[in-house]
Amino acid sequence: MRKALYIAAVTVAVAPALLAGQSWRTVTMSRQIEDNDEIRVFVEYGAGSLKLRAADGGVLYRMSLRYDEEIFEPVSDFSGHRLRLGVESIGRGFHIGRSKQSGELDLEFARGIPMDMDLEYGAVRADIDFGGLALTDLDLSTGASQSIIDISEPNSVGMSTARFEIGAAEFEARHLGNLNAERIEIDAGVGQITLWLNGRWQRDARISIDMGLGALELRVPEGLGLRLRKDGFLVSLDSEGLIKRGDWYYSLDYEDADRKVTVDLDAAFGSVKVVWIR
Amino acid sequence: MLKFLLRSSLTALGLALLVAPSTLEAQLRDVVSKEVAVGRSDAALRLEFSDDGALEIAFEDGVVLIDGDVVGVFEPGDALEAAWRSLLGQAVSLDDGELAIMLSDWSVPADLANEAADLARQVDRALEDALSSFEITVSNNSSSVPVSITGGPGSLLSLFLNATGELGLLGEALAGLRGEFTIHVDEDVVVPAGETVHGTLVVIQGDARIEGEVDGDVIVVDGTLELLDGSRVRGEVRLADARLVRNLGTVEGGLVDLLDEERSREIEIRSQIREEVQEELRAQLRREIRDVTRLEFSDDDNGFSLMAPFRSVFRGVGELIKNLISILVLGLLGAGAVAFAGTNVDTIADTARRAPGRSAMVGLAGTLLLIPVWLLGAVALTVSVIGIPVALVWLPLFPLAACAAGVMGYVVVARNTGEWLADSDYPWTGWIRKSNPIYTIFGGLFGLMFAFMAANVLSIAPFLGFLTGLLAFAGSVITFFAIQIGFGAVLLTRAGRRHEGASTYDADAAWERAMDVDADLDVDATADQVEEDSDDA
Repeated sequence: MRKALYIAAVTVAVAPALLAGQSWRTVTMSRQIEDNDEIRVFVEYGAGSLKLRAADGGVLYRMSLRYDEEIFEPVSDFSGHRLRLGVESIGRGFHIGRSKQSGELDLEFARGIPMDMDLEYGAVRADIDFGGLALTDLDLSTGASQSIIDISEPNSVGMSTARFEIGAAEFEARHLGNLNAERIEIDAGVGQITLWLNGRWQRDARISIDMGLGALELRVPEGLGLRLRKDGFLVSLDSEGLIKRGDWYYSLDYEDADRKVTVDLDAAFGSVKVVWIR
Repeated sequence: MLKFLLRSSLTALGLALLVAPSTLEAQLRDVVSKEVAVGRSDAALRLEFSDDGALEIAFEDGVVLIDGDVVGVFEPGDALEAAWRSLLGQAVSLDDGELAIMLSDWSVPADLANEAADLARQVDRALEDALSSFEITVSNNSSSVPVSITGGPGSLLSLFLNATGELGLLGEALAGLRGEFTIHVDEDVVVPAGETVHGTLVVIQGDARIEGEVDGDVIVVDGTLELLDGSRVRGEVRLADARLVRNLGTVEGGLVDLLDEERSREIEIRSQIREEVQEELRAQLRREIRDVTRLEFSDDDNGFSLMAPFRSVFRGVGELIKNLISILVLGLLGAGAVAFAGTNVDTIADTARRAPGRSAMVGLAGTLLLIPVWLLGAVALTVSVIGIPVALVWLPLFPLAACAAGVMGYVVVARNTGEWLADSDYPWTGWIRKSNPIYTIFGGLFGLMFAFMAANVLSIAPFLGFLTGLLAFAGSVITFFAIQIGFGAVLLTRAGRRHEGASTYDADAAWERAMDVDADLDVDATADQVEEDSDDA
């Protein structure tokens, strides 16, 4: 997350300077599937708009990138089942002025190819849908961003841990059940976080949330067994629909639920709200 | 490996391949990776194929490159570049087979002529060569042998199908050979030490490594030849579009490079293109230098301006007027402060005068802590629900208050400076009346900004840049310290509400100390004595 924060901080600091005198360049890259072996995917992106979804056809990945060639250069490297995509700074170009334009990165990845995915982005408006991808591991790190993460279709392969490191962000994750993860770790700095615990839970799971300052909203489908513990200095909990037993808050039908999710929250300041959805 | 005997000339073999269409089937190579990059000054396509081959065509800064080699030049924005960009626009959304079909179907636009058309043909040929893969079946009287030839720039395919000159070259390479032949197409050949190849060894689009012996000629087309220590070629070595990378063996028949002339011609063309590009770059550089020079001496891009010699005068006078306006504005602010908060101004001025060092230190510390205090205050207020409305006020008002304190401090220091100037014997300070704070404030502002104004005046004259810079620096230092002292005094006195560093003046105590007597008793006794004297009289 530090790196993502660094990316975000640098980007935000120089953003007004970056926005003028720009020379926009568009790059479209794609690669066909050659085998079904697992690949490690690294995506690094500084600022702009990021979209990610599953690709159709026999494409391993497809990247469409619009960037300022005075400041960034595209990264696309596939070797030894390791794929690096995104942009990196080339450390030149410092322009004064303003522009309403921003970079764009659109990514598509193959369905069904096992992927260990590592996403790192800074001041980015992200719209990510992992639905249809076969994720064996997920690390997502973001700085000052506005992110909507969706897992619209169940992950066909399970993963032990999915990690989300969030800096100062508005972060929303939908259909977390489809992630098919045994453990979900969320490390958030400042911001508003909304977690939708819907989707198809294929196993019991544990969600660990470490939050600095912010508001957390858990949207829980009725029928899912929820167990929640909060630990924090000044954290308010709207525990509607939960019963407290010891340090834990339980959903009313926790014992009878087919799938149980444990949420372990450690926060400094903020509020937690549980909203039940049908 | 393909092995058969040809009893006739191998030129006839090449022609036989060409005139046997029923045995030749074309197909497209698999494109595993595609990259389309379009920028302001370049438009490039890069393809990777399943057999590790690659093709890169770039239109970049007026130059067309195929696999990194310059093949021609174009005028940015011309019809050729437009056609290329249009092609790339279609390529963006396609992959693999569809992409290969689209690219190989591309043809030279009809509206291109002359050099642009020739260049487009080269690009078209490069695309077709790279994307095509051919299965060829060669028949002789007794057997059929499949030979796979994979396309590529300068490949055998283009050798056969596109370049009649190079076909002639192949014919030249193979002409006059007799006896038994072994032909390898698109594969590498190693003749191990201790082994002997009988007859002529022909390697087309492959590398030959000879460690043993060849009892005949060695012909390499579009490849490399290595003759290792102890190797021997009984006949002649012929290289056609090939390189001899190591020559440690023995060649009894001599070595013939059939492409020497072609290479020298290619080098000549490349050198010509390089010179043209360099000349174009030089011309562009000259134009840019001319433009920059013109901008230096003119108000606009229209050329030399008659006003140029007076620019420094205008600039200097303009800056001077700016400083005078600053003095006027600050002076008016100071007058307002004296009128509405005269006591506070007096208190701050007194503190700045009595303890300038302490005030400066406090001012410096205050300046450094401004941003942290502002941010911490904002965070602390944001945490609580009640504090959020206060934070909305805090965020804009705190910087404003800090600026106001800085301006107030500076004006107060200006007033002290004005009083000091009034007491001094410096020329042009006689008009400053110490009893009137308005005069002292304006006088002090002139004094504090004197260095800046002197720099403005000197900047009008040429060759005094160093002195101008020195005065500007001195003015900056004076302004910095004046602000720090003033700001510190404002902080120490809580904006003039608290008298810092001095107790309240007690006239009686001062008199007592001066006369070393009890003032009250002494006054009473004196009064009694006066009364007695009066009665006696």
